[in-house]
Amino acid sequence: MAATTTPPPAASGGAPAPLRPPHTPAESAERVKRRGALYVAEHQLRNMRRYGSVLIVGALGEPVLYLLAMGLGMAQLFGGGMPQEALGGVSYVAFLAPALLASGALMTAAVEFSYPVMGGFQWHRTYYAAQATPLSPAQIALGHLGAVSLRFVFQALVFFLVMLAFGVVHSPWGWVQILTATLGGLAVGAPIMAFAASLKEDRGQFATLQRLVIMPLFLFSATFYPLEALPVWLRWIGWISPQWHAAQLGRVLSYGMAEPAWLTVLHLVVLLVLAVGGAWLAARIYTRRLGWRPGTPDRDALARPRADRASRLGRRAEVSVSDGSGTASSSVVREHAAGVPPMPEITLRRGPLAGLYSGNVRAVMERAFLSLRSNNWVVFASGFVEPVLYLASMGIGLGALVGYVPGPDGTPVPYGMYIAPALLAVSAMNGAIYDSTWNVFFKLRYAKTYQTMLATRLGPLDVALGEIAMALLRGLIYAVGFLVVMTLGGLVTSWTAVLMVPGALLVALAFASLGMAVTSFLKTFQHMDWIQIVLMPMFLFSATFFPLSVYPQPLQWVIQVFPLWHAVELMRALAVGALSWGTAGHALYFVVMSAVGVWLTARRLRALFLR
Amino acid sequence: MSSADAEPPLVIRARGLRKHYGDFHAVKGIDLEVRPGECFGLLGPNGAGKSTTMRMLAGTSQRTAGELTILGIDPEEDGPAVRAHLGVVPQQDTLDEELTARENILIYGRYFGLPYSYLRPKADELLAFAQLTEKADAKVTDLSGGMKRRLVIARALVNEPALFLLDEPTTGLDPQARHTLWDRLYRLKERGTTLLLTTHYMDEAEQLCDRLVVVDGGEIMASGTPAELIREHASREVLEARFGADRNEAAARAVQAHAGEGVVHRVEVLPDRVLIYAAHADDLHGVVQRLVDDGAVPAPVTTLTRRASLEDVFLILTGRTLVD
Repeated sequence: MAATTTPPPAASGGAPAPLRPPHTPAESAERVKRRGALYVAEHQLRNMRRYGSVLIVGALGEPVLYLLAMGLGMAQLFGGGMPQEALGGVSYVAFLAPALLASGALMTAAVEFSYPVMGGFQWHRTYYAAQATPLSPAQIALGHLGAVSLRFVFQALVFFLVMLAFGVVHSPWGWVQILTATLGGLAVGAPIMAFAASLKEDRGQFATLQRLVIMPLFLFSATFYPLEALPVWLRWIGWISPQWHAAQLGRVLSYGMAEPAWLTVLHLVVLLVLAVGGAWLAARIYTRRLGWRPGTPDRDALARPRADRASRLGRRAEVSVSDGSGTASSSVVREHAAGVPPMPEITLRRGPLAGLYSGNVRAVMERAFLSLRSNNWVVFASGFVEPVLYLASMGIGLGALVGYVPGPDGTPVPYGMYIAPALLAVSAMNGAIYDSTWNVFFKLRYAKTYQTMLATRLGPLDVALGEIAMALLRGLIYAVGFLVVMTLGGLVTSWTAVLMVPGALLVALAFASLGMAVTSFLKTFQHMDWIQIVLMPMFLFSATFFPLSVYPQPLQWVIQVFPLWHAVELMRALAVGALSWGTAGHALYFVVMSAVGVWLTARRLRALFLR
Repeated sequence: MSSADAEPPLVIRARGLRKHYGDFHAVKGIDLEVRPGECFGLLGPNGAGKSTTMRMLAGTSQRTAGELTILGIDPEEDGPAVRAHLGVVPQQDTLDEELTARENILIYGRYFGLPYSYLRPKADELLAFAQLTEKADAKVTDLSGGMKRRLVIARALVNEPALFLLDEPTTGLDPQARHTLWDRLYRLKERGTTLLLTTHYMDEAEQLCDRLVVVDGGEIMASGTPAELIREHASREVLEARFGADRNEAAARAVQAHAGEGVVHRVEVLPDRVLIYAAHADDLHGVVQRLVDDGAVPAPVTTLTRRASLEDVFLILTGRTLVD
């Protein structure tokens, strides 16, 4: 037997007897009963290994960048506002690091427990493969939780090593925060998992969750400043936020932050309750969807019939049609078409680009509006909230610590006024990039929206223009909304602030057109993470939260090459009316970038859509 | 019917199996008896309750009423113990698109608690069985529809199941891929694996199944071997006549009205043609010709005679019919 390790390929009928499993089905069921969750975790970890390089770069790069940018850059602004004692007598980096370590788990939790869970039920349906084996639904849920916990541990460990390198861990118990951060991740992740498992359809709930729950938790939970820097009426967000509890635990463990013992215990209890409660709920929902509790009556029989069953009931009519030949089906059409006017002729556009462009961008936009109306309007609305939340958190909280910073024309301005135009620039960039990469890629690969469009008279240029137009329209609405918020907050001082709206549109056009060209080179969703890795340093270093002058001269030059810095400077100048030739230069940067982007996208259209 | 001659214990025994979704009754009392080593077919149109029945058999859907044992165990009481014996090929592929073909088999085997020392060589064996050896390390997204289907089947065999459940295994495949799959299923049968498959392809059922039931509206309409069913529910031969889309119905009525005489057993009208059943189709040509001469029916555009098949049984049992 051992000699025949390489059996002749396929065709041989009387090949060696098939391998028999080493244990009986009864033993197999028994083993799975004990260790099933581990097998599910193994599956998840195998999946993660596939994008291991992104995980490692992300786990290492994020803390280094954040600590460098916020910890060192930001710290140079302090002094104008609250005294240093507000931080409890430690450096800003030491104060910030434990909270960022905890927030890493928060962000990972939001990703790992949302789409992958939905995918297991709805898209890849891998949970249904597991369901057909001896595994129980609760084991499937716990296995997923276990695997992601390992990712939390890994991420926190890497972050902790970076902290050691920065010399900001003062206590020998510092390493314990790896565990508390993992617990914090589960406290957020397990409830999200339960929520994701309860969804039958993706209507943008996760994007909304990210913006309206995860973002506020991150921004208002004493991550960047002590909770006391916020007015009392905003502090409650921190009190209920797992991120605050995890961050405070981290600070106690990392540098022995002074805190009453009961509060430390409370942090731990809150996190444990959320994690265990969430896991229990998730296991329950998994059991409801993939199975049932033994001895209970069939709950489907009690449930009210769902709307989608109607189509099944209406099947009778089509039963007798076996193989309708061409003549039969066309005559049926004729029969039904009695009251319909004759079809107008479908005109074809001639001239240049006839193969790429049919002059029907409108149809692409109509589809986008329809889908907006039926599905995504909450996502659409929540997109406006994101920069406002940043402005509120940073402007109020950090503003209390920072006080005033030199504005574009040299005169000191309040911190909120300083960052508001920069946030508008960042939001214009993010929106445009999201629309032109993620969104386009998803519709291309998963929803197959473009496949349908391109099967009609529409050409790839119609699709590209339609998508860019929608991105700009969305950007326009957000920019106007944000400008209104700024004006109400007294953060604009010149009529030229109105020009921020066309400015934001120009920035969005440049990023959207270039983003679409980049998307034409992407093959998998993991490539999307690489885009994120490139964008993050740009976001952190482009003078968004503090002036460029905090950096050494060579680093300043590097930053000035990248587009976001130009966008930030452009907006800042427009907000206060400090216009100069430099302002025109920034605008010109985006005119050129748009031209390059549009040209490149046009060149790559076939590669993008007709692959 | 009875199972008096069946000495060995049944693989599947179902009595009055029911599944309700609120007011909608997907399965309305189904009885099944499947013996070891046979290939049993569950035939029916879309929405007949086939998949629901399959899921109850695998213990992944709760039954509303009825008795069910698989290999002597009630899947509702000990699902894991039942599924340890089962290979399940669901209607929709549930492959992990982020893993390779080989990894999909390995991980699935782990779900049965099997060790890698067995799974590694077994995965190679199964990949060869599914003719996917060259694609072993390809991602699932790079496989064709037929390859994915074969991979799902290979994956479901990793635990050497005693009972193999296949839900529409060849839907959406090209003829070549279907024949390859049938060949693989034959081999399993030769090894003594009990197969239960649902399909709405009659040729598939005729090719593979020893016995089958026709299901419609959640109920069993008929059961038996393919030959028995044809004998019982259809005549020996069929004349297919096309009178033109708008005239088929009237022509069928005319044939029905004018040609009793024991020649015509049954008339069935489809949107595109009329099926006339008789013991000898040659006699029918004369009948139709007479009707055309009398002006009772227009001259048919095309006619075709053939042997009756399972497809005719299916149409008679589940489709529209003019004769009782």
